[in-house]
Amino acid sequence: MDQKRLFAAIALSIGILLIFDVWNRTNRPPAPLPALPAMQTAPAVPVPSPAAAGGVPTPGVTAPVQTEASATAARPPAARVSIENARVAGSINLRGARVDDLVLTTYHETLAPDSPRVRLFDQRSSANPYFAQWGWTAASPAVRVPDSETDWTATPGPLTASNPVILSWDNGRGQVFEIALSVDDQYMITADQRVRNSGAEPVSVLPWARIRREHTPIGAGYYILHEGFTGVLGDRLHEMTYSSAKTEATRRSGVALDQETAGGWAGFTDKYWLAAVMPAAPDQTLRASYRFANDGGGDAGDRWQVDMATPQPITIAPGATGQMATRVFAGAKEVHLLDSYMDRLHITDFDKAIDFGWFYFLVKPFFLALDWIFRLTGNFGVAILIFTVLIKAAFFPLANKAYHSMARMKALAPKMAELKERHKDDPQKVQSEMMALYRSEKVNPASGCLPILIQIPVFFALYKALFVTIEMRHQPFFGWIHDLSAPDPTNLFNLFGLLPFDPVQYSHFLHMPAWALIMGVTMFVQQKLNPAPPDPIQAKIFQWMPIVFTFMLAGMPAGLIIYWAWNNTLSVAQQYYIMRHDRAAAKAAKSTGKTAKAKS
Amino acid sequence: MTAAAIALKGCVHAYRYTLRGVIGSHCRFYPSCSDYALEAITTHGAARGALMSATRILRCNPWNPGGYDPVPLPPKG
Repeated sequence: MDQKRLFAAIALSIGILLIFDVWNRTNRPPAPLPALPAMQTAPAVPVPSPAAAGGVPTPGVTAPVQTEASATAARPPAARVSIENARVAGSINLRGARVDDLVLTTYHETLAPDSPRVRLFDQRSSANPYFAQWGWTAASPAVRVPDSETDWTATPGPLTASNPVILSWDNGRGQVFEIALSVDDQYMITADQRVRNSGAEPVSVLPWARIRREHTPIGAGYYILHEGFTGVLGDRLHEMTYSSAKTEATRRSGVALDQETAGGWAGFTDKYWLAAVMPAAPDQTLRASYRFANDGGGDAGDRWQVDMATPQPITIAPGATGQMATRVFAGAKEVHLLDSYMDRLHITDFDKAIDFGWFYFLVKPFFLALDWIFRLTGNFGVAILIFTVLIKAAFFPLANKAYHSMARMKALAPKMAELKERHKDDPQKVQSEMMALYRSEKVNPASGCLPILIQIPVFFALYKALFVTIEMRHQPFFGWIHDLSAPDPTNLFNLFGLLPFDPVQYSHFLHMPAWALIMGVTMFVQQKLNPAPPDPIQAKIFQWMPIVFTFMLAGMPAGLIIYWAWNNTLSVAQQYYIMRHDRAAAKAAKSTGKTAKAKS
Repeated sequence: MTAAAIALKGCVHAYRYTLRGVIGSHCRFYPSCSDYALEAITTHGAARGALMSATRILRCNPWNPGGYDPVPLPPKG
């Protein structure tokens, strides 16, 4: 039948897509996006933002690069003021007023205790340039503003929670620029940008703060997880991947998104880390932009920027001071920390920096419950097991109700056999007659589609909660699992380490960890207890699912595979329990019937 | 058939060849909910068909006896 062939083709395509996803995840080639000629010949002056009022230049992404490239050599190295608190260590680069050196001191790169700490911000000269910077764009031509080559003077450091540092620069024409930097005991830097005008004329400037990333990070690359531009602007979450920002910005002269926002925040998110800029006061209105530019040299020249500026240039009368206050968050996306910033500093939806997704209303409470159990038990893996049991228990009445009629089904067996005999050549007819029989006898072996469909978002939410939160990072489980957020390191293809080679170097398919195999077996057993789809092609696919899933999940974080295996095991146990219970009940009913007969 | 109807039916087919393989078939009715959805969308159009399918799924729970439940015929005219 033609239709069946079509469906088989669809099924095959889906299978290929799933497998491609697995391969793609670990072996992601750089996105081959065409760089339009317009972007390659980037202008040397700040890119005028067409959206900005009166054509005033906003902090263009290309400007500082050009300036720096032309005016290098034969200058003393830039002076620095160090930053120290309980969570970060780094320094302020006094040339250009930027924080381009920041290490998260409480996070190691790998499990080894002597491994380097996680570095978030790094200098222009490094492989992964990433920094926060503050500055001004001149709106009236006469005013001289600092640029990326300006050497600032600073009050004594280091910048600590108790010691703010003020950078200042006199433009020699009557205006003094100041950036007062302070840091809390976590990841928040506050910058108060001031211009004191002691000249005779009013000056007009546009103050801005920006986060800039001069490389494209190699992301975890999971479809389920957002990495790239993110922010809550005008009370709405605006997420944009690097590739879609590139496409959008290429079409709109460098600006991928441009919006005024009262409060809110915007920045770059990695799986676990965030750098974001936001107004210091929650009711303050600023203009936020996501930008992209290319400095040439193909994809390696890609530059990304999130900035916030005042909606209009500020005009400062002689003797007056113009001011803008912003904050920069640069650190780990710990759920409780983001929540506390949201409460204390009234940052709109700051917790959405964690990619909780569409099921936010389920995922976040699930995470909070998991985290609570984790604090009680001390092991995140155990917390996953316990929480899954709790969720299963909540759905138990539904499952129980479904199997309740199992016992009475037995009584119908002779009638069913007769039906099957009568319509031997017409399985469809058997189906419909059986359904009619169920109805007249008021029994039905299936639980129904609704209870199953309700459970899907719930278990997806738990999966997502485990996936996106940093709290599972570097948390051990029993045996060979030392990091629940990383793939299980064991591999069937080198006999779990007996053979001295790493098969993954030949193909990413050659990774089959022990926990994935356990998951595959539990899924297989669980399927045996489920009714197979009536359609033979679908039934075939159904049989292959455990194998497909075993391969698909092999590279996933171990915590997720353990959760999946445990969830399957619980389903099997539940089904087994209910079936045995009903059988016992049927037996009891039978024997009491017998004794009643014997008595009469 | 409208584009919306084709898209919806595509979703149902996609479900049958992916998710159904994972969660199993648990329908209490004949025809099954996915068969019902395909037929309802074909005979009643995307909007009405989708609505009918949604209410059918809501009915497909342990408190409903289930059984034979065909798609109603479209009104004549």
